[in-house]
Amino acid sequence: MWMARPVKGAGRIARLALFTAIALTIFMAEAQLPVIPVPGVKLGLANIVTVYVMFVMGPWDALLVLSGRVFLGAVFSGQPMTLIYSAAGGLLSWCALCLLRKALTREHIWLASPAVAVFHNFGQLLAAAAVLRSWAVMAYLPYLVIAAVLAGLFTGVAAQTLIRRLDRIRK
Amino acid sequence: MKAKVILLLLLGAVAASAAFLLLRHGNASAPVARITRDGAVLEEIALDKVDAPYSLTFEDESGRNVVTVERDRIRVSEADCPDRVCVNQGWISDGTVPIICLPHRLMIEIVGAGGDVDGAAG
Repeated sequence: MWMARPVKGAGRIARLALFTAIALTIFMAEAQLPVIPVPGVKLGLANIVTVYVMFVMGPWDALLVLSGRVFLGAVFSGQPMTLIYSAAGGLLSWCALCLLRKALTREHIWLASPAVAVFHNFGQLLAAAAVLRSWAVMAYLPYLVIAAVLAGLFTGVAAQTLIRRLDRIRK
Repeated sequence: MKAKVILLLLLGAVAASAAFLLLRHGNASAPVARITRDGAVLEEIALDKVDAPYSLTFEDESGRNVVTVERDRIRVSEADCPDRVCVNQGWISDGTVPIICLPHRLMIEIVGAGGDVDGAAG
């Protein structure tokens, strides 16, 4: 098993808080970037943190960091309605990540991000379809799939690099 | 091995999406803009019969959207939500993608006028 030895107690809580803060900071910084005219298309840089925590600390810690970031992100951005979409996308992508964690070896973590990004967008569209009570929103799916894979490759390589570098520090 | 399968699935999804976007086409004639909130129709506008541009305001407890209509096209020109995705999206004129204001649960989609004789002839 290549995963790091689990950190317990106060150390774990401190790490969870740290990663939530980092993810939230990245999320808020990214929200300041200019809006791309296709809704839902963005880099998803906070995804780097989710993937890192999932592969290094485990699924439950990843769920804690993810839900913390999603909730606080909705509070800080002042748009409580976005919580539904982020939560739906986050939950679906977390499920996908859990499966990918078992399937992928250490060298292929970068592949997790594009898959997760696709599921995140799909979850958001499902939530939007439920709120708007119409399947017309699925017209965005092809755009979002292409954007998610491109953005996911970028954040995936970033997560892979991060895991490699942090490993070197720990030794 | 599993990594290769995942990579192939992703490439397949991208290829299918790209093919779908390239091959589809919007409604050819007589576009009708349907404006809905929570799935309930608020307004239906035959865009090919619009003579002069005008604006409509849709308001509820969640906020306000101003919709501008011109011949053959429609847009959200003002919204009081913070991100204004719907305003940035600009004009739509065919049925490829709807305009969606998620915070106000408002959607503008363009549907073909089914069974309209003028539309079929035009």
